[in-house]
Amino acid sequence: MDNRRVVLHCDINHCYAQIEEMKVPELRKVPMAVGGHETTRHGIILAKNDLAKEYHIKTGESLREAYAKCPQLVVIPPNYDDYLYYSEKVKDIYREYTDRVESFGLDEAWIDVSASSKIYGSGEAIAREIKKKVYEQLGLTISVGVSFNKVFAKLGSDMIKPDGLVVIDEENYQQLVWPLPVEELIYIGRATKRKLNEFGIKTIGDLAVFRADLIESRMGKVGVMIHEFANGIDDKSVAFTGYQDEAKSVGNGITSIRDMRSLKDVELVFRVLAESVASRLRDMGVEGQVVTIGLRDNELHGLSRQRKLAEPTCLADEILAMAMQLTREHYSFILPLRSISLTMSDLQKPAAVEQLSFFTDHGKIKQRVLDETVDAIRSRYGFTKIKRCSMLLDDELTNFNPKADHIIFPVSFL
Amino acid sequence: MVIAMYKKYVDVITMVDKHGEVKPLAIQWDEIKRYPIERVVDIRWAASPVGGSGLRFTCQIAGHERILFYERNRWFIESLQP
Repeated sequence: MDNRRVVLHCDINHCYAQIEEMKVPELRKVPMAVGGHETTRHGIILAKNDLAKEYHIKTGESLREAYAKCPQLVVIPPNYDDYLYYSEKVKDIYREYTDRVESFGLDEAWIDVSASSKIYGSGEAIAREIKKKVYEQLGLTISVGVSFNKVFAKLGSDMIKPDGLVVIDEENYQQLVWPLPVEELIYIGRATKRKLNEFGIKTIGDLAVFRADLIESRMGKVGVMIHEFANGIDDKSVAFTGYQDEAKSVGNGITSIRDMRSLKDVELVFRVLAESVASRLRDMGVEGQVVTIGLRDNELHGLSRQRKLAEPTCLADEILAMAMQLTREHYSFILPLRSISLTMSDLQKPAAVEQLSFFTDHGKIKQRVLDETVDAIRSRYGFTKIKRCSMLLDDELTNFNPKADHIIFPVSFL
Repeated sequence: MVIAMYKKYVDVITMVDKHGEVKPLAIQWDEIKRYPIERVVDIRWAASPVGGSGLRFTCQIAGHERILFYERNRWFIESLQP
């Protein structure tokens, strides 16, 4: 039996912008971007169309920067509901061909059609058919990479945008993939790129022919993995439809409506975030032991610090205390903070019997009952119906509900 | 010649049969005018040149073929007038 794998990676080209264009075709004729509301300061570009790209408008930059480059830019606030709906419709088309469709964010997915090629033809034929269907039925273009593993399939879908189709097979991958800069490979971010560049590794080909033992000694497990990726060795399977990874961390972050200038401001906002994170942990029935804070000042320099708690917890008070301790130790408020985030990781199921700490546990059970009661009141009567007195100190800063506001989460590959 | 077309949302009277299938019966144009749909010729998922995508009903209305779209939760026609 032929056991070669055929993996497709499909990417809806500049997803949010294209869905807006599909809804209102006139937008194709003007530079347009989807971005957040300027007034609440979530003012960044989330996606842009091809005309906006000609003005060098970049995803992630602020609306102000974008307007400076292109004053006539049309900015549309995001309609997440539509993006979820239409991207799911696109995935429904993928699912006509196989039960192995693994989403990677909203707009990307891997499709394993190894077993379907007897019915539907080669990977390339299936890719063409999928592209045609998505265009005819939903009016959207996608870029598809066809290959024998997930890593190269993703590279293929990135090569031609929009509306691309690239086949990378055992015969041509050295010509197609190896000349690419090494950071195109999934997993290689800025830090890894810098390390590799120090070795003189600039392209994926350089990495592929580099001595594996040297990479391993310098970069460990990850080094071995990316070395294999560069050589087309990647046997990770495409997950079945509906498979959900267990969460490895739970976090929330916010760009506050005004800059935070003092520990007091930060504490107010961390309080809201900690309550949300704690409540989500309790919903999942887990506790976290590592607290990570992310701070970004108003010149957009970021820093991130983490520390392990003595005991895993799902209590907002304990999470908040650690977050504040980290902030005090690592931030001096020379510049005010624009956005902060709070994440719990090292998640674990609570032991059936709780280990009581000798020194600090008084009231922990009481605290938990209190938190759960607040959760119950909120889920029944609404988020704003009960809150900490401290929230009233600054209504503006604390008036948000991270638990409900965030519906689309970034994903990681591992 | 390219004929300019417009996306026009319309009120539609529908029937939902016992299998859950939705069938458009008439377009309620305004308070007085109602155009009965004589026949549905074709139903398929499609994108419209006037924007949007959804279930496309190719219908016969007053002897003419017209395209009616069911987009998520409402209906539009590809109209010759804005």
